[in-house]
Amino acid sequence: MLPMRKIVHRACFVISRTVYMTCCCGCCSALRPRYKRLVDNIFPASPQDGLVKSNMEKLTFYSLSSPEKLDRIGEYLFQKAARDIYRRRHGFVIIAMEAMDQLLLACHSQTLNLFVESFLKMVQKLLESTDPQLQILATQSFVRFANIEEDTPSYHRRYDFFVSKFSAMCHSNHNDQAVRDNIRLAGIQGLQGVIRKTVSDDLVENIWEAQHMDKIVPSLLYNMQTAEKYETVTCMETDARDGLEDDPPRLAEACLRELVSRASFGHIRSVLRPVLTHFDRHELWVPNDFAVHTFKIIMFSIQAQYSYSAVEALMQHLDAGTCGDPASRTRVRAARAAVLSNIVAIAAGDSVGPSVLEIINNLLTNLRTSVARDSEKESDERLYQEALINALGEFADHLPDYQKIDIMMFIVSKIPNTRGKHTRADGMLQSILLKSLLKVGTTYKTSELSKAFPAAFLDALLRLSAAAGDAPPPLLLQRILHTLLDRRGNAHLLREPTVDYEPLGLSVGKCSRPDLIFISKHGYAIFNSLYEGLQLESNSVENISAIYTTLALLCVELASDETVCDMLQLILSIQQSSLSNPVLSVWQQCALHAVCASLAALVCHVMLLPALQQYITQIIAARREEAPHLLPPLHQFDQLSPSKMPSKLPYLMIDQMALSECLSSCGVEGSRLSSGARYGPAVHRHSWVEAGAAQGRDSLADISAGPTTDLDSANSSPGVQRRIQYDDLDEEYRMFIEKYNYNHRPTAHDFGTYHSGQSESVSLEALVSAARGPSEAERKDAEKRRANLNNTFRTAPFTSLLRLTQPKYEIKDKLEEIFNSLSEEPLLAPSANSPAAKCQNAPYNKYFPELFLY
Amino acid sequence: MEDYKFLFKVVLVGNAGVGKTCLVRRFTQGLFPPGQGATIGVDFMIKTVEVDGEKVKLQIWDTAGQERFRSITQSYYRSAHALILVYDISCQPTFDCLPDWLREIEEYANNKVLRILVGNKTDREDREIPRHIGEDFAQRHGMYFLETSAKEAENVERLFMEIAVELMEQAKCKELPKYDGSLGPINGKTSSETSCCLRS
Ligand SMILES: Nc1nc2c(ncn2[C@@H]2O[C@H](COP(=O)(O)OP(=O)(O)O)[C@@H](O)[C@H]2O)c(=O)[nH]1
Ligand SMILES: [Mg+2]
Repeated sequence: MLPMRKIVHRACFVISRTVYMTCCCGCCSALRPRYKRLVDNIFPASPQDGLVKSNMEKLTFYSLSSPEKLDRIGEYLFQKAARDIYRRRHGFVIIAMEAMDQLLLACHSQTLNLFVESFLKMVQKLLESTDPQLQILATQSFVRFANIEEDTPSYHRRYDFFVSKFSAMCHSNHNDQAVRDNIRLAGIQGLQGVIRKTVSDDLVENIWEAQHMDKIVPSLLYNMQTAEKYETVTCMETDARDGLEDDPPRLAEACLRELVSRASFGHIRSVLRPVLTHFDRHELWVPNDFAVHTFKIIMFSIQAQYSYSAVEALMQHLDAGTCGDPASRTRVRAARAAVLSNIVAIAAGDSVGPSVLEIINNLLTNLRTSVARDSEKESDERLYQEALINALGEFADHLPDYQKIDIMMFIVSKIPNTRGKHTRADGMLQSILLKSLLKVGTTYKTSELSKAFPAAFLDALLRLSAAAGDAPPPLLLQRILHTLLDRRGNAHLLREPTVDYEPLGLSVGKCSRPDLIFISKHGYAIFNSLYEGLQLESNSVENISAIYTTLALLCVELASDETVCDMLQLILSIQQSSLSNPVLSVWQQCALHAVCASLAALVCHVMLLPALQQYITQIIAARREEAPHLLPPLHQFDQLSPSKMPSKLPYLMIDQMALSECLSSCGVEGSRLSSGARYGPAVHRHSWVEAGAAQGRDSLADISAGPTTDLDSANSSPGVQRRIQYDDLDEEYRMFIEKYNYNHRPTAHDFGTYHSGQSESVSLEALVSAARGPSEAERKDAEKRRANLNNTFRTAPFTSLLRLTQPKYEIKDKLEEIFNSLSEEPLLAPSANSPAAKCQNAPYNKYFPELFLY
Repeated sequence: MEDYKFLFKVVLVGNAGVGKTCLVRRFTQGLFPPGQGATIGVDFMIKTVEVDGEKVKLQIWDTAGQERFRSITQSYYRSAHALILVYDISCQPTFDCLPDWLREIEEYANNKVLRILVGNKTDREDREIPRHIGEDFAQRHGMYFLETSAKEAENVERLFMEIAVELMEQAKCKELPKYDGSLGPINGKTSSETSCCLRS
């Protein structure tokens, strides 16, 4: 039966080729199955007439009533079309495809499977043709199919060919521009169809596999990059999303957005990897406008919770190998980092906890790597670092303030300690991290000082400023303080010392209670570190100005009756140091006097203290007459006539007694002022204990009274006893205080001031052996001498103490030598908590007091 | 039933300008295209041939030679049954790049893929690579070797026919992938694992 029918069918077919179907239908119809007759009848005599609509209805009706025949109908239609393609009778092919489309849409979802096989074979057959028209037609049918939701997807169906072919179409190089665009559009639409069909069900075909993504993603990007200009929008209109767009770049973009938005956590990397590869291959990093465009699109369409992945992928790619010479590699790196800085902000809003630190950590690691790689001449490396720092800032800018503080603390913790072996790379890393810190700090809006400076952060900052030895970091450190302190936008007005504040239009407010509490707890440490910053031999005009700005900002931000006394005390101490610190050059001494005058004028400006105002104005006027070099502006000079030396002009100095009186007359308690140096190394070793012990108190005055007593108050308890108060502090804080106090690197000035006049004379050998670390006996000895020293300070009259602390220069240089050799070891141990670090510090603790004796 | 029994995927690689596209056009369309632009990304052609009375469908993926398209072209290696590596006998640099191409093939293609080295443009007078040099190279790297001219239609038919024959033998030997026209196994995964009885 079957062969028989086949023969007849063949015969019929042969005839139909020559005489057309109309003629032979009658003779074979009895033998042909009904479905074939129905199919044959939908074809017109001439293809121009199009599908025979009425017969198509009959076929559709038949298929719906006998769905079990659908597979055979499909197969038969396919066979007919295949033959027509072979004979290049494209008109009939188009009709066959149209019929299949209609049947597909008419099918009930349960029966769809029976038909889809032949439908897709038909689509593939058309796609294999070289005729663009058929390819485009096939794509449209495929897209129609892709938009149908199937109840039971066919798991053995593969889309490999479609992905391959559609991707090839996306790269069409047809001579005719219009045809080329249409083929490319069809390719993109086809890919969009495959994605929609498969994306929701990995069992159908895992579209996220590399073999597919490596074709789909570059195809989309290739079309996107041909756009005349890149306009990045957050969200696209519906047109493009539905594939109705007639511009390949826009459609490709819509498709990429859809792909990215469908990607789950596990899949997002599958998209990003080929994106990165594409940019490498097509050298689209420099210039990077297309890369920025693309990555923004990715960020806009990625599911919010995964946006971190995109940032991470790009970060990990920063260093990825590209070909080319080192210079161009660096340029590429810089361009990638710039792209990163363009997108991190978008990610910041969605990032939480660990991923935030992860991103920061990654950026810092890249910075570190860059510093390690850096060589003098490569300015592109500098660009790269700038871009990374920018990225850091951009990212932080979009985080809530509390996270910014976390980040700043994190950055601080990464800053290497360069007290020991000071390599150039260390210094650079330090300054780069400080720059990063500054960048993040700039984005932070300080409300309360205590929030901007959590104890641990402040500690770290001060520790840094104590450790900072090189020119750029101290400046950066001050800038960081400026940005965090300056709540009222005064910093730029206070860049340079001045005594005339009226025209500046400073914005001044009332110091809040929380700020007062903050400054009472930490004021001493802050002031002291700034004070010490002013004592450095290496200071430039810039450095001194920067410290002035910090002090001025503190003065403005903390203006209150409670703080005015401390501010004046600090001014007195600075003035004193400029007279007694032997390492300062003449111009530096004068600069300090100018700073004192400026700060005093500022105090008068922000506080209503008429008597004080009058006094300071007098001094300034007198200096203007007689010694303008003791007033701002600061500048560096070499020579000064001996008669103009500050020490020769005691009547132009700010006098402690006068200040006290002025304060009293204004109703402010001024008796706390003392003329001696309250700040400085000898004192501050105990000061932190005081600061810690004073936690319950809320006025800096109370606290600062503490350290002073060691020096000039006979009835205060000696430092040794005060040490017991450590126990009240929590462990971490105590550790820090210990380190801070004992690891402070003595500057030459320390010795100059304090190590003189003692009857005991010491050989260099003894010093060296002391430096090596004391023996048990020596330690006891040292203990004793230390007690002695304390005693001396407690009992001797102040003037004799001053005499005692006059410098003795001969020994100074030798001491410096020794200390230079000492400082090869890190003075600040890397980790405050490690017991090893503690042990390391021990020798210092022990011989330190001894050194103060000589 | 569609009218072929086997389906094989053939991928052409090699520097830009060696004549890959011309070879494919010559084979599939019987012409030598005048001045067509360089291939972008990947191009696709199909041709059904007959081997021992059985229809064999060849899917031919013609790739762009330029570096920048390498990532997309590489993604087509994986499912290939045969890789045709083409150089231009009148252009030494295209020959010098062969080791690079081999490295790529090594990395991205199935390790049992049938590899054919083709020296194209034999019609040219200014030959730079003697035949035996190409032959030696092919032998050293376990490749078939053929010299062709797309322009003069020399050895082009033979190139693809031999590939079809070889792949069919492989397929029969393994008796696995019978491409009966259903969409099922046209992905390369199942079939490329069968190319075991190739050279030995
Ligand atoms: N003389 C000669 N020229 C050829 C031959 N095959 C290709 N060409 C020329 O080589 C150039 C590049 O050919 P094409 O097929 O585009 O190379 P493809 O980049 O490898 O695809 C064109 O100008 C062709 O005309 C050949 O067999 N003989
Ligand atoms: Mg080509």
